[in-house]
Amino acid sequence: MAKYTPPDQSRAMQWIDIIFVVAAIFLALWLPLQAGWAGVSRAIEKIENPTWELLGQTPVQVEQWVKLGFADAAAAHDIIQNKFDYTIDWLQLLIMTVVIVGYFVFLFRASDKEYREVIDEKFNGK
Amino acid sequence: MVQAAAASSAPVQKVSLLRVLGPAHVWALGVGIVLVGEYTGWNFAADKGGTLAALIICWVIGLLYTSVAMIDSEVTSTVAAAGGQYAQAKHIVGPLMAFNVALYLVFAYTMLEVSNAILIADTIKAYAGDGFGDWHYRGAIATVIVVLATLNYRGVLMTLNVNFVITAIAYLAIIVLFFSVQPWSQGAVLKLGEMVTPENALPYGWIGVIAGFHWGIWYYLGIEGTTQAAEEVRSPARSLPYGTMAGMITLLIGASLTWYICASLMPWQYLGFTYYPLLDAGKLTGSKTLETMMFIATILAAVASANGCINDAARAWFSLGRDRYLPTWFSAVHPKYRTPYRSILFLLPIALAFAFIANLGQAITFSILSGVLHYTFMSVNIIMFRNKWPLGTIRRGYTHPFHPLPAVVLFVLCVVTYFAIFLGYGAQLTAMVVFYIIMSVWFHFYRYRYVKRGDQFTMPWPKPRGY
Amino acid sequence: MWITVVNIGWAVSAALVLWMVYDWFKVDTSYSEETLTSSREGEIEATSEKHKL
Repeated sequence: MAKYTPPDQSRAMQWIDIIFVVAAIFLALWLPLQAGWAGVSRAIEKIENPTWELLGQTPVQVEQWVKLGFADAAAAHDIIQNKFDYTIDWLQLLIMTVVIVGYFVFLFRASDKEYREVIDEKFNGK
Repeated sequence: MVQAAAASSAPVQKVSLLRVLGPAHVWALGVGIVLVGEYTGWNFAADKGGTLAALIICWVIGLLYTSVAMIDSEVTSTVAAAGGQYAQAKHIVGPLMAFNVALYLVFAYTMLEVSNAILIADTIKAYAGDGFGDWHYRGAIATVIVVLATLNYRGVLMTLNVNFVITAIAYLAIIVLFFSVQPWSQGAVLKLGEMVTPENALPYGWIGVIAGFHWGIWYYLGIEGTTQAAEEVRSPARSLPYGTMAGMITLLIGASLTWYICASLMPWQYLGFTYYPLLDAGKLTGSKTLETMMFIATILAAVASANGCINDAARAWFSLGRDRYLPTWFSAVHPKYRTPYRSILFLLPIALAFAFIANLGQAITFSILSGVLHYTFMSVNIIMFRNKWPLGTIRRGYTHPFHPLPAVVLFVLCVVTYFAIFLGYGAQLTAMVVFYIIMSVWFHFYRYRYVKRGDQFTMPWPKPRGY
Repeated sequence: MWITVVNIGWAVSAALVLWMVYDWFKVDTSYSEETLTSSREGEIEATSEKHKL
């Protein structure tokens, strides 16, 4: 197989490539923050006039809370009652699965195509 | 920046990275990056599933990482090049995979570096008192990132010597704390039975254990970074497996001790909430000395981690330039310090920018996502490696046992972890993968035309089987 | 105390960034691009490790 010679890339185009990569990285990190996707599905289950007993804390546990600077049950309320919601959103799970599987399938297939060229040039070109 | 293959006949003076590191540096790089995970991060697994879940995860994820370390040791003791798994992917799977792996690495390490800088600033802020405003908070972040980048700029040997010392101190602090709380007599200081009761051990049941896998990754994330040093290690075939395995053992012990101390001192809701579980444990002992020790150790662990991350991210970026996946400009080596100085400088403002805009939880999640994608690749990679070059066809520095069991275990645990991340961070995970899809399409259909084909394969190996 | 430390930190960071940029400029102007980007993957590997069995 003939040796592949890559075309020249102008300095300006190299800069554009770098800018593209950096912009994509920033977007990928910043967009989810901005769109509020980074949040977790959890909510505070409010208890009116909380006491340590209502919050399910034993006397020994209360002792540690106090040492950590939580003087009364009200101060610790938001931490203790902040519960996760693990209900599964099947549609979202399906979308995620399709995206991840699709990504890896494309990744391995396209890589293999490129890899064959590399091996061809390296070992068969001689 | 001339890309043309200028075949000038005049001999060009060559500069390359320096081969100066030993196994202790490999250990310092691996453990240094990871150890901060014991100081913060792992405890959010308790948030998602309870204290007992955090322990189960500590060991199950420990299994995942033992597989990672075994697989990585075999492949990297054979493909010893800067860029680590990037170079592995290029030789075993193909260029597009390699490009993605390098992006995983740069993402995982840069975001981890950002997390460390934020952690340091948060810790200082908690102790600084009034008058510590945004300017000072950012000053702490900037100082950490810039000083460490300069250290990295000036040479790898000094960088990792420093890492060895501070990592060792941070690790010893955990051991000292462990023995100071009289672990042999429960009830004196430690109250495991009171903190973890049958009612609160698994507050969400088993789904909480699965969900906790997400943060469990943080116990060990980054141990695979040892391979980035491959080109600078004197004897990679020996030092890399040795340093990585020793690092893994160190971490398994450290993680178990950390869990035992923290679980015995804090109610699980607080454990899952705090940013500094070990520092709080020091505080709860009532000893000012121990608290100060843990304060210093928290900062040292974060510094060591950020330091290693700058080292690793720069090596991965550098390798991308060297193969023309990105402009070759990045592949420059400093003629005096022998470091990939342009890559270090290029990544510096990116890290700074994110440290200023992101918060700790988000930065850690980005890092974890890239890590899990990376481990998925590794499980497939080792199977392909053994198929293309079966044992006996090339010299391996280390051959891992029980193949393909570690690969299968790794793959299964990765799938579970995707599901765990989905429980809470599904949209973010999907967005992240969409980013990698866009980058892959860009690379495959556009950027790859600037890459020389055969030159990418640099190992003196025979032709792979089946091609 | 921390406020003083952090203010010094800002100054040190600024100085280090300036030094790195200066050093970068100096290196880039006193060496040819060919020399700087002459590192190749697997070069040392090829001479020190033999993969033939």
